[in-house]
Amino acid sequence: MKYQSQSIAKLYFIAAIGLFVGQILFGVIMGLQYVMGDFLFPYIPFNVARMVHTNLLIVWLLFGFMGASYYLVPEEAERELYAPWLAKLMFWIFLIAGAATILGYLLVPYAELAKLTMNDLLPTMGREFLEQPTITKIGIVIVALSFLFNVGMTVLTGRKTVVTIVLLTGLTGLAVFFLFAFYNPVNVVLDKYFWWWVVHLWVEGVWELIMGAILAFVLIKITGVDREVIEKWLYIIIALTLISGIIGTGHHYFWIGAPGYWQWFGSIFSALEPIPFFVMTLFAFNMVNKRRREHPNKVATLWALGTAVMAFLGAGVWGFLHTLAPVNYYTHGTQITAAHGHMAFYGAYVMIVLTIISYSMPIMRGRTANGPKSQVMEMWSFWLMTVSMVFITLFLTGAGILQVYLQRYSDTPLGFMVVQDKIELFYWMREIAGVIFLIGLILYIMSFFVKHDDEVTA
Amino acid sequence: MNNQTHLNRRLTWIWLALMAFTILTYAVSRSEFSGTWVVVLLLVTVFIKGHWIIADFMELRHAGLLWRVLAHGWIILVSAGILAAYMMGL
Amino acid sequence: MNSTVKQSEITTKYHLPGDLAIWVFIFAELLVFGIFFLSYAFSRAGNVELFNESQKMLDTASGAINTLLLITSSYFVVRAVTAIKSDDAQRCVYWLAAALAGGAGFLVIKSLEFADKFSHGISLGTNTFFMFYLSMTFFHFMHVILGMIILAAVLIKARNGGYSAAEHTGVETGASYWHMVDLVWIVLFPLVYVIR
Repeated sequence: MKYQSQSIAKLYFIAAIGLFVGQILFGVIMGLQYVMGDFLFPYIPFNVARMVHTNLLIVWLLFGFMGASYYLVPEEAERELYAPWLAKLMFWIFLIAGAATILGYLLVPYAELAKLTMNDLLPTMGREFLEQPTITKIGIVIVALSFLFNVGMTVLTGRKTVVTIVLLTGLTGLAVFFLFAFYNPVNVVLDKYFWWWVVHLWVEGVWELIMGAILAFVLIKITGVDREVIEKWLYIIIALTLISGIIGTGHHYFWIGAPGYWQWFGSIFSALEPIPFFVMTLFAFNMVNKRRREHPNKVATLWALGTAVMAFLGAGVWGFLHTLAPVNYYTHGTQITAAHGHMAFYGAYVMIVLTIISYSMPIMRGRTANGPKSQVMEMWSFWLMTVSMVFITLFLTGAGILQVYLQRYSDTPLGFMVVQDKIELFYWMREIAGVIFLIGLILYIMSFFVKHDDEVTA
Repeated sequence: MNNQTHLNRRLTWIWLALMAFTILTYAVSRSEFSGTWVVVLLLVTVFIKGHWIIADFMELRHAGLLWRVLAHGWIILVSAGILAAYMMGL
Repeated sequence: MNSTVKQSEITTKYHLPGDLAIWVFIFAELLVFGIFFLSYAFSRAGNVELFNESQKMLDTASGAINTLLLITSSYFVVRAVTAIKSDDAQRCVYWLAAALAGGAGFLVIKSLEFADKFSHGISLGTNTFFMFYLSMTFFHFMHVILGMIILAAVLIKARNGGYSAAEHTGVETGASYWHMVDLVWIVLFPLVYVIR
């Protein structure tokens, strides 16, 4: 570790993994609630579990992105972080605010929570993924701006690289688009229109820049390939991301009451959204193939390659399956959506955070790479989580196809609940896969505590 | 310099040919002609013009085979698609 | 010995003009436009009467003139490249300026076309034909602007002596992008204005 302040990333990563565990616990709870509707009712109703699951995901990924930035920016900029104390302070504020919010969801009825947190003054609650009380949202903005300031000053007063510029652009975009969470039009169409400016332009826009930059950084370190080569690929990837993803937002405007031409624009442009992920896969494999060194951290390389592949499959392929308007007409809001959502988030964002943790944690703990026992355990966790996610996706895809056919496409469509009954088997299988995923995650955490292992310090 | 003058002359002829084909296309639009064969003619024109731009203006004549295949392939695929769609609409 | 070989003589085998990155970009753009064109064509197949009727409202002469302008502008860019290959930065600059003028002419005529349509109350929502016509040509319009910005940047660098016969990848890069913009219009004009 070249700069002391890089170690701040450790805090962020530990919090990230902790929240990840919470997210999966609630995921497994919900998976059971799908088939045993009364499970944990009234203590943790489905809708509350869902809020906890999705909000934890986003928050832990944000911790991950921040940790990644605090690790890689000083190294790239060749200077210490601008204000390490600020990073530490923000860590605690974010963690405590986040924990308080989750506790709020769990302990207090939502309407009550709204009253308690004075939502009336500036109403922002009640929308999917943006359920946080307004004060939490304001807290997020403050944390994000401090983070941006800290990282920004470090980059701008140090050595600027393509990696840091792309990362900073992505992070700035993340902060800017989050502001739309505060915009709550009365008109339902406009409400939905702008909601996607947070969600789509995050995960199919600026977050891809963040992911690309982190992947590029890890590949530079692990493969030893010339920076110029890797940076050129990064430029191509983000250009393709923005070209396809910006107007591609239109694939969320098909049925919300927006003008009909969105069915055309959304379909045409979003059909191209898999391309940057395809290029990312080519990029990752190509760089590893052309590597100039045999980096001892094998498992980090595995994560890096795995991220590219799973992101392409989950975000790219599964996304493409339901992105065209004529298809989406039937599949909108079904288990097809859930299938895509899970593999996409896992493949792109969960895995890139786990990649950078895998690469940097050993270094922050004083070694180049973990010993063989630890790496093998981590590899096991990689395969368990990844393969079980593939199965979760396949089962939900099966459920979705049946659901679409029975509920929408057939000549004699059946009602929602009747169909849910008929696809129950898929839900049971999904839950089993989900439990295996949790086992993989537990193994992942265990890999950090392997003792008496020959660590690589070279 | 001789190499350059030669090249320039060739490129100038190509430019004039491109212009001529464009005027031809315009003439077709002003005429009463329509139908499948006119569309085929127009698309052949598109291919020829496209070829000149790809091979000579973009200089892909001197690039690897892959690039020429991709570029010409694009024109052929798009033209074929346009023709197919046109015939579907008849 | 090799340093005296002119760049122009090296363009015989496997030379992709300009940066590889721009070619990835170019093919990505061609892909988008290609999908747009096919969407138009197949949409037309289901709405032939509507498309034919609406198409009559287009000013084909403007479209044709614009085609001539872009072709000529591309020709000027080609001349600019051959000029810099002969180490004639000055000529290169003149040809690029001429190309930019052609591009500007295109923008003016296209803007007049748009203005005319809007003044007749035609917009994206009027019908499917006009949705395609307006969005495709507007999308292309934006690419003409981008191409011109790239060419202008190249022109400025050439003016400041940044390119030579030995090193002019930037000129070829900008030129390749501009030719793509021209190539797209070569298909667009007959497709939207003429085929009926």
